[in-house]
Amino acid sequence: MNAMDLLFSLTNGFATGMAIFLVAAGLTLIFGILKILNFAHGAFFMIGAYIAYTVVGTFPSSLGLYVLAAFVAGLVVAALGYVADRIVLQRLRDVDEAYMLIATFAVLLICTGVVKIIWGVNYASVNPPPLLDGALDAGGLLMPTYSIFLMVCGVLVYLGLDFAIHRTWLGKLLQSVANDSWMSSLLGINVPVALIATVIVSFFLAGLAGGLLLANQTLSLLLGESYLLLAFMAVVIGGLGNVRGAFVASILLGVIESASSIIMPNMPGMATYLFVIIFLVIKPQGLFAGHQV
Amino acid sequence: MKLLKILLLAAAVAAFVSVPAWADQGVVFLAGLVIIETIFALSWNLLFGYTGLASFGHAAFFAMGAYLTGLALRTALGVPFLLLIVASGILGAVVAAIASLVLLRRTTGIHLAILTLALAEVLRIIISYSTTLGREDGLASIPRPSIDLGFVMLNLSHGTAYYLFLCAIGALLAGLLWVICSGPFGRTLVSIRQDPERAAFIGINVGRYRLLAFTLSGGAAAMSGALYAPWAQIVTPESAHWLHSTQPILASLLGGAYSFWGPLIGTVLFSIINYLTRGLVGASEIVIGTILLIIILAAPSGVAGLLKALGLRLSAGTTNEGKKQ
Amino acid sequence: MSAILRVAGVDKSYGSHHVLKAISMEVMSGETFAIIGPNGAGKTTLFKVMTGEVFAEAGELEYAGQNITQMPAHARVAIGMGRTFQIARIFPDVTARENLVVAIEARRRMRRESPQPWFLVTPRAQTIEEADARLRDVGLLEKKDIEAKFLSHGDKKRLEIGIALAGEPRVLMLDEPTAGMSPSDRVETSELLGRLRASTGVTIVMTEHDMDVIYGLAHRILVMNQGEVIAIGDIDEIRANATVRDVYLGKEMYSADD
Repeated sequence: MNAMDLLFSLTNGFATGMAIFLVAAGLTLIFGILKILNFAHGAFFMIGAYIAYTVVGTFPSSLGLYVLAAFVAGLVVAALGYVADRIVLQRLRDVDEAYMLIATFAVLLICTGVVKIIWGVNYASVNPPPLLDGALDAGGLLMPTYSIFLMVCGVLVYLGLDFAIHRTWLGKLLQSVANDSWMSSLLGINVPVALIATVIVSFFLAGLAGGLLLANQTLSLLLGESYLLLAFMAVVIGGLGNVRGAFVASILLGVIESASSIIMPNMPGMATYLFVIIFLVIKPQGLFAGHQV
Repeated sequence: MKLLKILLLAAAVAAFVSVPAWADQGVVFLAGLVIIETIFALSWNLLFGYTGLASFGHAAFFAMGAYLTGLALRTALGVPFLLLIVASGILGAVVAAIASLVLLRRTTGIHLAILTLALAEVLRIIISYSTTLGREDGLASIPRPSIDLGFVMLNLSHGTAYYLFLCAIGALLAGLLWVICSGPFGRTLVSIRQDPERAAFIGINVGRYRLLAFTLSGGAAAMSGALYAPWAQIVTPESAHWLHSTQPILASLLGGAYSFWGPLIGTVLFSIINYLTRGLVGASEIVIGTILLIIILAAPSGVAGLLKALGLRLSAGTTNEGKKQ
Repeated sequence: MSAILRVAGVDKSYGSHHVLKAISMEVMSGETFAIIGPNGAGKTTLFKVMTGEVFAEAGELEYAGQNITQMPAHARVAIGMGRTFQIARIFPDVTARENLVVAIEARRRMRRESPQPWFLVTPRAQTIEEADARLRDVGLLEKKDIEAKFLSHGDKKRLEIGIALAGEPRVLMLDEPTAGMSPSDRVETSELLGRLRASTGVTIVMTEHDMDVIYGLAHRILVMNQGEVIAIGDIDEIRANATVRDVYLGKEMYSADD
């Protein structure tokens, strides 16, 4: 394996990491503020993908339309998220952890059922828009343009979230709510609104991710799965609720995933799972423990 | 109350045993699956309802037992079937014991969930890439065994014969689990679930009990897998998939995680719902998901809890219905 | 009378906060020993170190001559150290009687007093009788079939004392036994402890804020402030102690005089 292969593996890993982060972002945000690990996140990601697919079809005509479809998906899913919050998530705030996981799993089931009914069980596949189809040659390193697109998206989402959380008043508000919601309400912060805002943003991100990652894989009910598991693991490893942690962890997992297809081609995915298990046993709090959001 | 419970139980057993008499082979097959999945769910609930640990990767144990038994039967090693069941139980128990040494340092819901999920996935990947175990296709054409009891030979190749065997062994395993869960061991586990620190301060070695619970749970789950292999006559890596891990969770919560027979009620309900909605794709997920949600939000003690509450009212309710904590 | 519990040079810090500074003390067998001090003095931490809830960074703990410094909590209970919690912790989903049954079965396993085998489902008659007797001792017999979560706060604390005693401890560690109780409950609990002590000779170590309870029960008092022991002695010695007076600045300690 030469330097070029290594570089390719790393950049590919970074791209995969960004894909994981796009899914993990909303998940970790909602955990940081609401302390709910939303199993249903994967379902909403899937719904987002299906919605974007409905808008854009198998051959998206332009990059603009592709991204627009992703935004539309994000908005629709955000609306659904609002509904889900009113009906389910709000009531889960004080419930035992295990029940919370199972309840959000129930939401996942319902969403899966709905998707089956509306879109059927058939597989579909979407091609990347013309601008993203192809590859860029960077000094001998061949990078699929789509991967570069994902990297850009991931970094943008991260920077956007990081900026919003740490440098805007809204973000600071959310941080204080995350740390102590009772105290925050005493200080006059409208806690319920802040919480709902978080839910909406989190679900928007899920839908957006679904739309952006559309061209990356076959569209089916299993869509949620592989990304979802990786996203969950990234969230837990990064430190539940920590966006920076999720970002770093996503890259880590992405690189391992990418490297493992070279090191352990016989058993894809093994290395990642083993890494997660070992990491969680040694450092269960995660990478950035103790820093909320 | 106790008499009523015994009668209901007897009725349930009779109902199960009677199935081949009035139903076609398809339904008999489903009924057999219900028995197997009930043992699986009971094993899971030993860990959850009794000890307070939520495992999201229990299908791994099931798969262990299924593959061990399936492989042994297929290659006609000549190992007696009953011994295979016991061996599967031991395998499951040993793996569970080792795993819990790793897992039980982090018993908070989310971490345990992710860890058990990840471990089960690792097993599934190993299985699906193993040529001996048939890779993605798994092991097919698993023959149904015969049991040589010395004085009589039980030929289980016919569906009904194996089904009746399932009834018998299911009752035996369930009965054993009931004794374990209802006796002093179970009482200790329930204390650990409610308040592990308090339990430690009455002298209970919490770590050791959790290990034991995990071991028993893994062993029982593996045995249910062992029973599955000759029944379905095919075992695939799907048995170790996390969706299969969710089945005992759904069943236990549906039926009531805090009552011993809850998982039985839940498994039966689950199967009935699946059967009734099999025509409309997606319907079963919606129905089950909705019921599960309602249960968690409104009645966390499931159907059994509702029945118990009703039962209390029927018997001129004495306890003051205080507010929830 | 010999020392049953010995604490020597115990140090404990939470991060940079040095909570216990080389604490040394002895508790004599059969006596009732109270630990008092203003909030933040370190009483609770000292209590936690003694019971095994947390472990000290330095120092030694001895119980009946045995070094228990690193011994885990459940093992300490096995050798005779029972405890209650400040906010009564009982097993909420089971009845009062079952709470005691579990504690008794645990003790029988620990002490190998013909423990109940796993295949015998219902608790032995002996166990149930003992459970009922203990419920009677703490005044909860009529409530034996009520799920513990439905009990009043005072009842829960009494149940907890019953549970701790079911372990037949030689030393009973009580963490603010009358915290949150109404005045009449306090008196009742005080009397209850007095009766139990008289009938079993158990050593009691307690942290408390209520001076009336302490005056009624304690033989000796340890006063802590800012992680250090500032005085040990019997009631009169403590009341006469100038340092203690300064620390308490004429608080409840002295209100009984006025």
